[in-house]
Amino acid sequence: MSFDEIFDVIIIGAGHAGCEAASAAARLGAETALVTINLDLIGQMSCNPAIGGIAKGHLVREMDALGGVMGRVIDRTGIQFRLLNRSRGPAVQAPRAQADRSLYRTEMRRTLEATTNLHLRQGMVVDLIIKNGQVCGVELQDTRRLGAKGVVIATGTFLNGLIHTGRRTHTAGRAGEPASIELAESLKRLGFPVGRLKTGTPPRLDGRTIDWDAFEPQYADERPVPFSFATDRIEQPQVTCHIGYTTNAVHDAIRANLHESPLYSGKIKGIGPRYCPSIEDKVVKFAEKDRHQLFLEPEGHTTNEVYLNGFSTSLPAELQQELVRMIPGLEEARIIRPGYAIEYDFVDPRELTPSLETVRFRGLFHAGQINGTTGYEEAGCQGLIAGINAALFVQGREPLRLRREESYIGVLIDDLITHGVDEPYRIFTSRAEYRLALRYDTADARLTPHGRELGLVGDSDWDRFNHRRDRLARLRETLENTRLKRSDAAYSSLSRILGVDLGESVTLAQLALRPNVRPDLIERLLPAEIRAEASLDDLQSALADLLYSGYIDSHKATLDRLHQHDSLRLPPDFDFRAISGLSHEMVERLERARPQTFGHVRRIPGMTPAALSTLLVQLNLRQRAA
Amino acid sequence: MQLADTIVALSTPPGRSGIGVIRLSGPRSLEIARAIVCDEQFTPEPNHARLQTVYDLESRDALDRALITYFKAPHSFTGEDVIELSCHGSPVLLRRLIDLVLTLDARLAGPGEFTLRALSNGRINLSQAEAVRDLINAQTESAIKQAARQLRGELSNYLQPIKDALLDIIVPLESSLEFVEDDLPDVAVGRITQSLSELTEKVERLTATFRAGHLLKDGLKVTLAGRPNVGKSSVFNSLLSSERAIVTDVPGTTRDSLSEVVSIEGIPVLLVDTAGVRTTEDKVENLGVERTRRAIADSDLILVILDGSEPLTVEDKEVLAEVGDLPHLLAVNKSDLESFSLNGLLAEASVPVIPISAKTGAGLDELRGAILKPFAEGGARDAGLLITDARHHDLLRRTQGALQTSALLLEQRASEELVLAGLYDALRFLGQITGETTTEDILSQIFATFCIGK
Repeated sequence: MSFDEIFDVIIIGAGHAGCEAASAAARLGAETALVTINLDLIGQMSCNPAIGGIAKGHLVREMDALGGVMGRVIDRTGIQFRLLNRSRGPAVQAPRAQADRSLYRTEMRRTLEATTNLHLRQGMVVDLIIKNGQVCGVELQDTRRLGAKGVVIATGTFLNGLIHTGRRTHTAGRAGEPASIELAESLKRLGFPVGRLKTGTPPRLDGRTIDWDAFEPQYADERPVPFSFATDRIEQPQVTCHIGYTTNAVHDAIRANLHESPLYSGKIKGIGPRYCPSIEDKVVKFAEKDRHQLFLEPEGHTTNEVYLNGFSTSLPAELQQELVRMIPGLEEARIIRPGYAIEYDFVDPRELTPSLETVRFRGLFHAGQINGTTGYEEAGCQGLIAGINAALFVQGREPLRLRREESYIGVLIDDLITHGVDEPYRIFTSRAEYRLALRYDTADARLTPHGRELGLVGDSDWDRFNHRRDRLARLRETLENTRLKRSDAAYSSLSRILGVDLGESVTLAQLALRPNVRPDLIERLLPAEIRAEASLDDLQSALADLLYSGYIDSHKATLDRLHQHDSLRLPPDFDFRAISGLSHEMVERLERARPQTFGHVRRIPGMTPAALSTLLVQLNLRQRAA
Repeated sequence: MQLADTIVALSTPPGRSGIGVIRLSGPRSLEIARAIVCDEQFTPEPNHARLQTVYDLESRDALDRALITYFKAPHSFTGEDVIELSCHGSPVLLRRLIDLVLTLDARLAGPGEFTLRALSNGRINLSQAEAVRDLINAQTESAIKQAARQLRGELSNYLQPIKDALLDIIVPLESSLEFVEDDLPDVAVGRITQSLSELTEKVERLTATFRAGHLLKDGLKVTLAGRPNVGKSSVFNSLLSSERAIVTDVPGTTRDSLSEVVSIEGIPVLLVDTAGVRTTEDKVENLGVERTRRAIADSDLILVILDGSEPLTVEDKEVLAEVGDLPHLLAVNKSDLESFSLNGLLAEASVPVIPISAKTGAGLDELRGAILKPFAEGGARDAGLLITDARHHDLLRRTQGALQTSALLLEQRASEELVLAGLYDALRFLGQITGETTTEDILSQIFATFCIGK
């Protein structure tokens, strides 16, 4: 077979999944091509110019800890950083940042171009080249053929993308960009089960036409918390967002024009995300609410464009303009780009293994919206895992599979491949059974050793990791072992402030767990040398460890119980078809995987708890009979 | 979807009985039934019993006239095709029939395998599977009622609204964490605290029924003790003659010839008659004494029988010394005799003293009441849903504990993720009872306790 160029790994699509995949594969030493329709739109934020938030921020931290790039890029281009849930416990806090959309793109491209082994190629992939059940390359629209043993498809909303505004539709991957139709057809031809999802975006306004005083300002944090463990400080000047509300008049007008909405006229068949509804959905499904919250988010330092977050719509453009002007403060506002809804193809993620490789074709990986997810962070982390595993596959190394207990990335992938999706999948902290152990500030402890072992974490990052780990260990030890005695000078004033008797002596750890004791109080009680080396972040991490340790121990016990049957062996001739209560789908998965132990069965993608119980009972019965 | 093989087992206890039921489950059930009635067209209407002659396939002789009931998949207990053969209860006949069926490409069912298939095929949930086991082992009518209740899913039904209410608490707390940037109403901590305490109370009430439920299922062991000739055996017999237990011969339960189960107020009571407690040189008798001592130590209650027509003897005092501080009652027999007296025991004893006459039956009702009194306040006969299973009790206690921890954290205004950790645990524990979040080891435990062919 002749190819114009031969690589180790090809990444199709340069969105948030594709960028992570390309960067990781190249840094693992694979000659990697990143193929995209338009090289000027690498790392484009198609929707909200923001990264992070609850659970999503956790994902970015985890990517960073493993050796991903999203965290570093947003730290250099974020223009409003906020730590969410500051008043809650550390397990549910997470950073979020508004990005300068254009700076983010530039910085991402710069990062990729500075990466050895990484080759950017412009072109549209129209077909996969498959030989003997294994992928071996891609064919471009311009007839070039690129060879590679590992291919990652990260095509976002481009697969058969169809944009709706009002009753008008046109094929597009994003507004103003062509859809990828031939590749979508190729995937169907190859036998992949394909479904249809929908997402939407709000109008962008001209900032000069907004009456800013009518809105409530939302300021950036004074002390921005960065995403990357490598970032010491945020350099970008910080901007202010604004909060406003719709009114009943706006709602009435939307309701009166629902027949113009492709969502309600039945034109849109794809399923949209329930947690990110369009304004049409909001006023129909929550008719009793007399206002809906809106955020005015600046798109960057050098543009007037403002993102009207909370007003996603696919109503006709002229109607959008009318509706926007009914919002208090936006009476004079002008729309620069109208909002729209987009339908696109996704491939059932139950086709995938935990390394995101398709079961159908060796060497072929799927990442991002093609797997039915939504969100830059969800896409990015899949891209990272798919890129890593594509390189490992080409190099003949064992794949990286993350467990639910160690990361949100593991939770996300396990959810996808086990349950599939029936609406665009977004990560939530409640999806993790072990969320108290998956704090954003422990992502390094959980994942950086994996990244180092793979070869993704460089020497200086590894040094930083080790220093932080050692500092935290010393800090924890100090908290456990430093005692305040009744005779100490600080004791009586402390006892007075807290209004309780603290006993003969009390450790700093015990003190920290008392209600109303703030970290800065503990900080003042630390021995001078510890105080000098530990930051407030370090102290908060150490205190969080103390706070959650009891809960985490009991979780560990539960986990150990859950995995106690892992070593149970399956006879080589085990007939899965003979077991009642196993669905066809389960039997197929089992026959494909040919598991040797129950532990292996448990890890087969898509095995349901019911199927596992049934199998386990059968194995026990057989063992007893034998 | 069905298993490739068909299983068979005797569903009634082994031994001679009025009828014996053989049950088949699996895809070949109907075919096998056709073979043994020697009629290839035999297609009984599902769920209707048909009287049919069954034949010995080798000798061509008629073996028995049996009632055959066909339950068509999935509308059967196991969810598969099921055939039930109600035959005359001769062990030889039943054995021969099962042997025949085994030659027709069926195999003998493993322990609990019928129930396992029912569970696998989604016909019953975990707590129902446990109820099947209880139903089969039940010894009194009240215990059967309880097991039947659970089999109908009443425990699951009872827990469902509790789970729903728990979700109602989890939802607002969880959303306040996940959707910080949304314009959500504030969490109504007062309302949540209130419903959490109502919920905890409900779980507490259900948990507390275990004391009565446990008695219903496992019953009491009451040992009769006393020197020879005080009328122990007469008392034993008169307590028996009142109300015999439904199942008196449970296979697998080891019992010596001197024990019987009676039902007192619906509670199964295992009465154990013992040899006299008397130290002798006789080796054989000493063995009996040893056995008596063990029975006494192993009892929930000891019934010390004394003869009221005579003063207390040295031997009586030895018996009382043997019993010591163990829970016991004094039954003073022969109240029908003129010479009867309580011998001043009423004043001396710290335990109930009940005058009875095994001969006339006088005082026996009082005695029965006194036996149950320390165990079953309020009586269990007409109680509502009771927790009878130790595993359920343990899970409910854990649920209760998790809910209480959460309530405390809520009161202290702890961060929501900590409050939620307990609520999720509670949900997980409840789910283990209804079988919705089953873990593998529970299943293996359950099926390990099943006897064959249930």
